[in-house]
Amino acid sequence: MIVTVPAEPSTLFPPLMSGTQGAAIVGVLFDRLAEIGDGLETYGDRGFQPRLATSWSWSTDSLSIAFALDSLARWHDGQPVTADDVRYTFRVYTSDSLVVELKSLLGNIDSVSVRDPRTAVFWFKRRMPRQFYDATYHMYLLPSHLLDTIPMAKLESAAFGRSPVGTGRFRFARWESGQRIEIIADSANARGRAKLDRVIWSIAPDFGASTVKLFAGEADFLEQLRPENLAQVARTPSLRLIDNRALSYGFLGFNLRDRVEPSRPNAMFGDVRVRRALHMAVDRERLVRNVFDSLGMVALAPAPRALIPDTAAFTQLPHDVARAKALLDSAGWRDSNGDGVRDRDGVPLAFSILIPSSSTSRQRYAVLLQEQYRAIGVQATPQVLENNAWSDAVDRHAFDAYLGAWQPSPGLVGLTQTWASRGSSNAGRYDSPAFDALLDSALTTFDPTASRRYWARAFQQIDDDVPAVWLYEQRSPVAINRRFITTPLRADGWFVGLSDWRVDPAQRIDRDRIGLGTPP
Amino acid sequence: MRVLQSVAVVFSAASLAFVLLQLAPGDPATALGEGISPELRATIRAQYGLDDSLATQYGRWLWSLLRGELGWSRDQHRPVAAVLADALPRSLFLMGCALSVSLAGGMLIGAWQGARAGSRRDRTTSTALLVLYSLPEFWLALVLLVVFAHHLGWLPATGITDETYRYMSTRQQFVDRVRHLVLPLTSLSLVGVAVFARYQRHAMQESMTQAFVRTARAKGLTESAVRRQAWRSALLPVITVTGLMLPALITGAVFVERVFAWPGMGFAMIRAIEARDYPVVSAGVILGSAVTALGAALADIAREIADPRLRTP
Amino acid sequence: MSRRLSPAFVLMALLVAVVVAGPLLTPYAPNAQLDIIALRSQAPSLAHPFGTDAVSRDVLSRVLDGGRVSLALAILSVSLSLVVGTLYGAMSTLAGGVVDSTMRRLLDVALSIPRLLVLLAVGALWGALSFPALVLLIGFTGWFDTARLVTDELRALRAQEFSLAARAMGVRGPRLLWRHLLPHLLPTLVITASFGVAGTIALEAGLSYLGLGIQAPQASWGTILRDGAGVVQSEWWLSLFPGLATVFAVLACNALGDALRERFAPNHVPRRATSRDTAPIPMTGTTSPSAFSPSRTVRP
Repeated sequence: MIVTVPAEPSTLFPPLMSGTQGAAIVGVLFDRLAEIGDGLETYGDRGFQPRLATSWSWSTDSLSIAFALDSLARWHDGQPVTADDVRYTFRVYTSDSLVVELKSLLGNIDSVSVRDPRTAVFWFKRRMPRQFYDATYHMYLLPSHLLDTIPMAKLESAAFGRSPVGTGRFRFARWESGQRIEIIADSANARGRAKLDRVIWSIAPDFGASTVKLFAGEADFLEQLRPENLAQVARTPSLRLIDNRALSYGFLGFNLRDRVEPSRPNAMFGDVRVRRALHMAVDRERLVRNVFDSLGMVALAPAPRALIPDTAAFTQLPHDVARAKALLDSAGWRDSNGDGVRDRDGVPLAFSILIPSSSTSRQRYAVLLQEQYRAIGVQATPQVLENNAWSDAVDRHAFDAYLGAWQPSPGLVGLTQTWASRGSSNAGRYDSPAFDALLDSALTTFDPTASRRYWARAFQQIDDDVPAVWLYEQRSPVAINRRFITTPLRADGWFVGLSDWRVDPAQRIDRDRIGLGTPP
Repeated sequence: MRVLQSVAVVFSAASLAFVLLQLAPGDPATALGEGISPELRATIRAQYGLDDSLATQYGRWLWSLLRGELGWSRDQHRPVAAVLADALPRSLFLMGCALSVSLAGGMLIGAWQGARAGSRRDRTTSTALLVLYSLPEFWLALVLLVVFAHHLGWLPATGITDETYRYMSTRQQFVDRVRHLVLPLTSLSLVGVAVFARYQRHAMQESMTQAFVRTARAKGLTESAVRRQAWRSALLPVITVTGLMLPALITGAVFVERVFAWPGMGFAMIRAIEARDYPVVSAGVILGSAVTALGAALADIAREIADPRLRTP
Repeated sequence: MSRRLSPAFVLMALLVAVVVAGPLLTPYAPNAQLDIIALRSQAPSLAHPFGTDAVSRDVLSRVLDGGRVSLALAILSVSLSLVVGTLYGAMSTLAGGVVDSTMRRLLDVALSIPRLLVLLAVGALWGALSFPALVLLIGFTGWFDTARLVTDELRALRAQEFSLAARAMGVRGPRLLWRHLLPHLLPTLVITASFGVAGTIALEAGLSYLGLGIQAPQASWGTILRDGAGVVQSEWWLSLFPGLATVFAVLACNALGDALRERFAPNHVPRRATSRDTAPIPMTGTTSPSAFSPSRTVRP
């Protein structure tokens, strides 16, 4: 199967991968200890399926879980999977020498120890509803026998990132830089080889080129379709559309700290009145209709509606341009020199919005926002950066504002990573002790009703503070060639069941018949 | 003399790249983020040797270039030399084919025109060539892409080979390569043909009025023999022009590679620009200049072979 | 002869008229987002002859406004190139001797570095540039051809009779240059300017297409093409019309250059352009003894 993607992943090293393209490839090449159930339940270990661990047992005080590894599990180079690998993986993910986005999500895990070569024990600091989820969902196991001789700081540039070795039912074949990444079925896998012979990620320079490949039959699969593509997919008999309840949301994030002197608040965005004004000036509904048509909705909070327990329990700021202008006036930003841009003490209310180059929707949003802000005397300038440079800049707080999008993990634990004050991905440096406390309560309480109340208050808090303008959440349909028989798509990643997808034998075409033999 | 010149070109390009880097806002330390601690910044500056004198840094820059160490690509997580080693041959291949096609086509058309100078066919062709000459390469590439790849579906839209290229038979591989080459080649060549044809036509006209032609006619040679003489003398400027075309080809190729996702140097540079991956960009500038200088030198040699009178003592 | 001039002049006049007067005639402001829901991405119609783009801006207005920007950029930067190039060439010829040949060598080296690559490098480091910065950048990387041309021309002119006569009469140095040589240089410079503008229009379109030239939301032919790049199939009007406009403008300038060349320099040292401004090619009989120098094209 040929998947066309508009950007190339920067690395396939699991702790450092970012972006959906890398996530898909890593997701099929590597395995977790246990796989979350289709319902995405995160309380306790309900619904979790064994993967690299065949069974697990809780200690009586629930502060540790012992995982028994599959004795038949092998790495793609033939070595057996051992408990050392589990311990090493944890060390890498929590290492200080690497910038790992997920690090803060593993905060409750104290350590991992090896009881015997086939048993790894996770030790936790506190009893929490999501202990099991924390231990199993975020980390893909890494081969310690290949990596532990490399110093942590050098792992980023190690060759492993471009030629990974995992345990999945697909194995890595090759990466032709700038063109394609190929994986083939791992015939030696204990769980059985993948049903497809190979999957090739074909790298196109932009989304438009991807659609060309799809409609020309050169590619079989494309995700994140845009509204204008839907009609053409309907007209193409060889393609079908699969709706996917995506879990992502997009927002305009502000840098709340001064760029040069991080201990000081940002001259523009440090003032909550300015942020509220910038929120109210935007007609979010119309923007969503323009960019996504029927495929999007306004986001209410830093989480998609599907994951919010009770969407009516908190209120949003309204769209009110007059109030926005009044707020800016009262904050001291007025147009003193008549150039159409507000200023204060000689500094204009002007900022740049960082956008990744692969996202056409966000680029469109930037242009729309620019116009909306111009109407209230604020000058916003879009700045497009290539994906990896963009995430670099965001991670390092080198921005005024940026258009970001997140896909929270099930259970909303991701919010500790993205919006809690010590979160590793809290790019805008939003710091609210109240929100932190409410978030913590919501995540740690075992009582579902109490949890819902805490979530409602947490969302209200963050909606009042406006560290970002929540812009949209989108449904993400995928187009796939009809000859593929797929498993139901899971909301947190279409690729999860990829190892079980197959080609309908009656509809095979030439490239399906190549087989697994080595090329000439 | 020529060799010195070429070396001077590469040296200047390298120096230019260095100067630009120094002039640009920020240094590698701030490129890493504005929120980093002063100690970390000092460490990074020491690591990159940014606190040494400019002269020392410059010397180090040149020395590492001489040794072939072109740096590390932050975007692709590999050495720049590896990036360019992948990309350069593909660009050279495309440019080489385009040059050959343009040269051949242009000379033929120009000669054909020169023989019919002043006729209606000549003027019509001239106008057509003028239009071709005025088309921006990337727009032509876009149009070809839309017409032939989208609407008609005859040719593949992007890339240099099919995804399953490795698994094809040799014959299929050859066909596949040709199919992927057609559109980018046409985009580059159409304009190239126009350039060469215009040049050749004028050169033919010029040489037809030269003294030796009159002599030849006086001697009683047939018209076609005269034309052949004229053509041979017009050859010289055309060889000259070939050397001139190289920079144009490089720049044209950058856009065409972008439109057709042909993973050559131009494509790598554009990607590096978007990613602010300066090592790749500066290496590209240096390499591009080197290629140009080399081409000019080769054209010079060819000229002197063609016309001994031009040999400098 | 005069018949030849007409088509080219007509084209140019049309171009200038459209660009200057056009923006005054369209009902919409080029950056106005008219109705982001209802007027999004409309195909060409009577109300919007060139269609609308994804944020409901009228493309015709943008093309006309963009024409102004593109043309202004081209003319300004070419003027800059001409001035700098002529000064350099004149100084070099005046100085004569070792200084002259050194300056010419430096020119040769400068001509060997592909211009677009340098522009790309600047783009990588500085990101987006303002309009004045762009003019300066494009102007200062484009004068090498002119300088080369000027040095060659001046040398040739110096050997001609009127110049010898002037010198015999005692006119020297800068005065010689100013009063006697420059007027003869003028036709060549105008022709160079013509081709230069053509090339710069195409260059700007290409740079903006890559995101390095004029910045959004300012319309220019290149930025509209950039907007339409990802949706060439579905929103073809975003790629067709600015492209045609660019071709038209470039064609007009090239045709003008051709026509002027026919008119003013039919017997002159042939400089049939391989690049967008003219390049001196040593031909048999008028060879200069210096080593052949590669010229560069202004076109991207």
